[in-house]
Amino acid sequence: MGMFSESVDVVCSASGQPESLTWAGRPYALCAEPVRWYERRQWWAEDSRAPLGSGAGVVDHEIWRVQVLPVGRTSRPGAPEDAAGVEPLTLDLTRHIRSGRWRLLRIHDGLRHRTA
Amino acid sequence: MSFTHLHVSTAFSAHYGVSWPEELAMAAAADGATALACTDRDGLYGTIKHLKACMAAGIDPIVGVDLAVFDDDGDHRTQVSGRVVVLARGHNNGAGYRALCRLVSDAHARTSGKAGGAVPAAVTRAELASRTLDPQTLKPVLTVLLGPDSDVGRAMGGRRYLRPRTLFKQWVDAMPAGTVVAEIVSQLSAPGTPFSTAHAVRMLRLAEEHHIPAIITNAVRYCAADGAPTADVLDSARTLKSLPELAGEPLLQPTGQGWLKTREQMLGLGREIISAAGYGAADLKQLMAQTEALADLCRIDPVNDMGWKQPVVPEASVIGINQDPHAELIQRCQAGIGRRFPGVNGMAEQAVLARLDHELGIIHNLGFSSYFLTVAEVSRMIQDMGVRAAARGSGASSLVNYLIEVSHVNPLQHDLIFERFLSNDRATLPDIDIDVESAERHNVYRRIFERFGSERVTLMSMQNGYRARGAVRDAGLALGMDDDEVGEIAKQLWRFSARKFREALQEKPELREFAGRVERRDTDGNQQLDLLVDLTERLDRLPRHISMHPCGVILGDATLLDRTPVQPSGLGLPMSQFDKHDMDPMGMLKLDVLGVRMQSAMAFAVREIIRIHPGKEEVVAAGGHPQGPDGSGPDYIAADGRIDLNAVPLDDEATYELIRSTHTLGCFQIESPGQRELIGKMAPREFNDLIIDISLFRPGPMKSDMVRPFLEHRHGFAPEVYPHPDLKPVLQETHGVTVFHEQILKTLDTMTGCGLAKADEFRRSLGSESGEAQVEEYFRRNAKGRGYSPDVVDKVWGTLKSFASFGFCKAHGAAFAVPTYQSAWLKAHHPEAFLAGLWEHDPGMYPKRLLVAEARRLGIPILPLDINRSKAEYRVERIASGQDAGKLGIRLSLNGIYGLSAAELKRIVAGQPYDSLADLRARSRLSKPSIRRLAQLGAFDSLHREAGGPANRADLVHHLQQLQSSTGPRKGTDVVDGQLSLPLGDIELRNLKPGLPAPTLVENVRAELDLMAVDVSTHLMESHRPLLEKLGVTTADQLLNLRNGTEVLVAGVRVATQTPPMRGGRRVVFISIDDGTGCVDSVFFHEAQETAGPLLFGTRLLLIRGTTRRTGPRGISLSASMAWDLSRTETLPFPESAAAVEDVPHPLDGISRALAITGFNG
Repeated sequence: MGMFSESVDVVCSASGQPESLTWAGRPYALCAEPVRWYERRQWWAEDSRAPLGSGAGVVDHEIWRVQVLPVGRTSRPGAPEDAAGVEPLTLDLTRHIRSGRWRLLRIHDGLRHRTA
Repeated sequence: MSFTHLHVSTAFSAHYGVSWPEELAMAAAADGATALACTDRDGLYGTIKHLKACMAAGIDPIVGVDLAVFDDDGDHRTQVSGRVVVLARGHNNGAGYRALCRLVSDAHARTSGKAGGAVPAAVTRAELASRTLDPQTLKPVLTVLLGPDSDVGRAMGGRRYLRPRTLFKQWVDAMPAGTVVAEIVSQLSAPGTPFSTAHAVRMLRLAEEHHIPAIITNAVRYCAADGAPTADVLDSARTLKSLPELAGEPLLQPTGQGWLKTREQMLGLGREIISAAGYGAADLKQLMAQTEALADLCRIDPVNDMGWKQPVVPEASVIGINQDPHAELIQRCQAGIGRRFPGVNGMAEQAVLARLDHELGIIHNLGFSSYFLTVAEVSRMIQDMGVRAAARGSGASSLVNYLIEVSHVNPLQHDLIFERFLSNDRATLPDIDIDVESAERHNVYRRIFERFGSERVTLMSMQNGYRARGAVRDAGLALGMDDDEVGEIAKQLWRFSARKFREALQEKPELREFAGRVERRDTDGNQQLDLLVDLTERLDRLPRHISMHPCGVILGDATLLDRTPVQPSGLGLPMSQFDKHDMDPMGMLKLDVLGVRMQSAMAFAVREIIRIHPGKEEVVAAGGHPQGPDGSGPDYIAADGRIDLNAVPLDDEATYELIRSTHTLGCFQIESPGQRELIGKMAPREFNDLIIDISLFRPGPMKSDMVRPFLEHRHGFAPEVYPHPDLKPVLQETHGVTVFHEQILKTLDTMTGCGLAKADEFRRSLGSESGEAQVEEYFRRNAKGRGYSPDVVDKVWGTLKSFASFGFCKAHGAAFAVPTYQSAWLKAHHPEAFLAGLWEHDPGMYPKRLLVAEARRLGIPILPLDINRSKAEYRVERIASGQDAGKLGIRLSLNGIYGLSAAELKRIVAGQPYDSLADLRARSRLSKPSIRRLAQLGAFDSLHREAGGPANRADLVHHLQQLQSSTGPRKGTDVVDGQLSLPLGDIELRNLKPGLPAPTLVENVRAELDLMAVDVSTHLMESHRPLLEKLGVTTADQLLNLRNGTEVLVAGVRVATQTPPMRGGRRVVFISIDDGTGCVDSVFFHEAQETAGPLLFGTRLLLIRGTTRRTGPRGISLSASMAWDLSRTETLPFPESAAAVEDVPHPLDGISRALAITGFNG
């Protein structure tokens, strides 16, 4: 598992669930129901202010764990794994609450850890 | 369907909850909720506020508690297995609420009432089970919620499945049927961690498996997501660990999701949990419906379930009455007329009877007769104990109180209005406050418990909220900042609300240096200070803990403990979890039994006078009292010399002369710098002047500029003006200026004819904006209707508006003025005994050392500590020999010496006198450090002198120091065992080896300050004298001879710092310093505060430049322009010609311990 903080473009459904994303110029689609939770931040070390009225997102941030497959490459969407053996990627994404920007936190790729 | 939150901590869950009941209730109602629970941790601390908030928001209250449960398998006294929420069921005539109260009291029954006690507030499961059923009907009246913090929830860590199931089954087996539900909570933490959806799913499955209903909550700690960081800081304050430490353990809240989520959000959460469990839409519907069903069961009817606003007083039989209480009250009042108004007849009698009828009519109408009889009973009981007691407050306005001996002020004589106390328009139980000697207060409490029975009495509690200093300390702790650094910052915070910290940084000169550091954060990369400010603001006002209220005692009938939970107070006596704001809503009768140190000091002085003088003749001679017509002295002095202070006539000229001299240090209510200035200007001549003086020295009159016109009119500098001739009778005694509440009432009544009861309602409404508008409308319309011209109406309305809510009740003023007069009388006639009483009971605002300076000024010798003559209290002593022979002096007490324990003190006094150190060691078993400290203070000097020998005090201290550091069996050859029985005097002392130079005066004073916080041998400023002469400083005793407006330098040690409210709202800082010749009161206006900056509040020794302001014939103060820290010699403004100053030792050098010498920490 690697730790990242790389920018990702994510397209969400109306209810706010990620559906597809573009990472490093390449499009991916979700191939499984995503899992969402919240993780604590070390806000006292990372932030310089925490005035009353800061709103949500000081203490925790939202994490989405998604499984994605690249779109429009060797395999047709929806087709079974092809000879190249494209396995779904498991990614942990986080959305910055105030800017709404998504970042890639971790990549789980089953066998190997990949780091940036 | 709406959603009801059933697990909500309010801010009254100290160091846990973030939001106030009002915010929560309003948010819930705004989201369409029809009910809301309040489940504070460990108690019902916020329950009554919650009730009030829910009623205001138009929703039903639900009440409960979040309680720790002891581990059945662990040590019952200390091991807690988890926490559960317990909700009371409603609409059962209070059966649910009663059980809840008793359960909460059970949880506290084993705690010590002291901070950091070993036993936590918790119940056993057996107690919980037995309380869930109503003892009469055996129906369930409580519901227990097993959630993520229960032992079941806590056992879900890792992959253990069996353990949570076993624990859940134990609950189901142990609790009566229908009293347990599963509480499903997901705060969306990472899968598999506490408060995760995965754990919620497991709890849901357990419930299904055991056929127990499941409900969903959000375990709320804050109203909105914004509260999450505050909750983190509170976790830190509760556990005394910094946030980085807590994050490492990990002990912080799992996420920041614990807010009062909306109905939509809760439904979404439910959907998420149900779907993760693999259940369907019907299950979701059931989960939400069960939650609402439980909510419906628990809706509370404030009136029928909790007795909302229904006054309850002790049963008549308890106070020994077997007839109708009102008939009893009438009889007692009639009997009182003979005692209080002997021989009254004609018009005077008519006036008394008419007033009595009027009061009794209102009391009967309100049904408060038993209340008056109860208060009379308590009052009689205290007086039977021989304790000084005096009613204070608006109760003094009542003739009934005067007749039944609750109050000792005649309301007819002082023109006090009953409606200010009680009226048909005011149906709440009125306050009657009783002042007693502070030293006897706890005995009085115990006696009340005995008299009424512990089931009918409990102490009231008070909530202690964060103020700026505490908030900055705990915010600093959370951030892991250095203690000393935070301490330094906290020291500079002075009387402003933490909520305004950032604003204060811009404005307050003493914070300028800190503000600079906050701004420099970008360059230093230090973000902590900026966060510190934010977190301090977040903590503002949040409750920290409850403690015993300084005077409130709750009296009820045999059902009192069904209506309030109690816990042990620090005193050991039970204390209600409700505070003064909860009394009226809960119909509780609260009696304020206030310990007044001045009452103790005066009682002490009276006893000392008897002890030192053999009889009346000697007391009369010593006090310069009048001989009386038959030459045997006044009647208020008994044959044994006992003075009946309450009988002393209120017209003693020597007493008023003392008051006018402004040397009123130690006198009740009139010793502060501001009061000394006011009495200097006012020059009181009679008792009513004292009432007016005390009433004027209040925020209202000061702010609304009543004082200056009053003084001008009083001294005839300006003609008295009345807005209208009709108001002359109302305002004449205060020269046309409105001072008293009573005058407001009469003004309103005179100009509108509204009646006094209505007038008092109006006066109360004037405190709020909406109320003010209504009163204005009424006043203008009716005054106009009665023919008052528009400009009269305008002018009077201006006065009413600015003053009504701040003014002072004349009854209070009259009650206060009595001890003021009595203390000044004692100071004028028996200053030695009075000062001894002040030292013993420390009633004033000044540090004790200033009273030493006052004794010095009065020429009263202070006798040093002596192991054979000093006792456990200060004593007046006739001096046998020397230059002061025959005079009365005050012998220092052994009490209050640093490090000397109470047990040691007791043994010393029991064993007196001692003929040697060995004798002292053998019989008092003093510790070695205590003996050395006593030696440092010179307590053995007289023994030493008697023993002879060439050594001095320094040699003795050195010798004792060596003994102290030697361990094991004694090695010293100086100590001879068994000398005790030989009448040889003290061989140890006689044989001491001389060699060291005798301690200097400065060293002696340093020891006195360090160990007793007083400078006895000489004034601590004495060693600064050469320096001050070089600076050209003027001493306090010379100031009065200077012209108004003379520029001077003064120097001294700080004795008081005050920031009274001022006209225009600009802060004014009063700093008083003492230079050994007296006190200098200086005023720092805005600009001087700017130049003084951090010196304003942080410095012990001050040099101040300013110009003299004459405040009256005998008063002078200083308007400061600049200040310096006297201990930083290099910064001082020496004249150019002055030679360099040598640095000499000073008494305060090297004492880093906080000493109680400056009037605040420092």
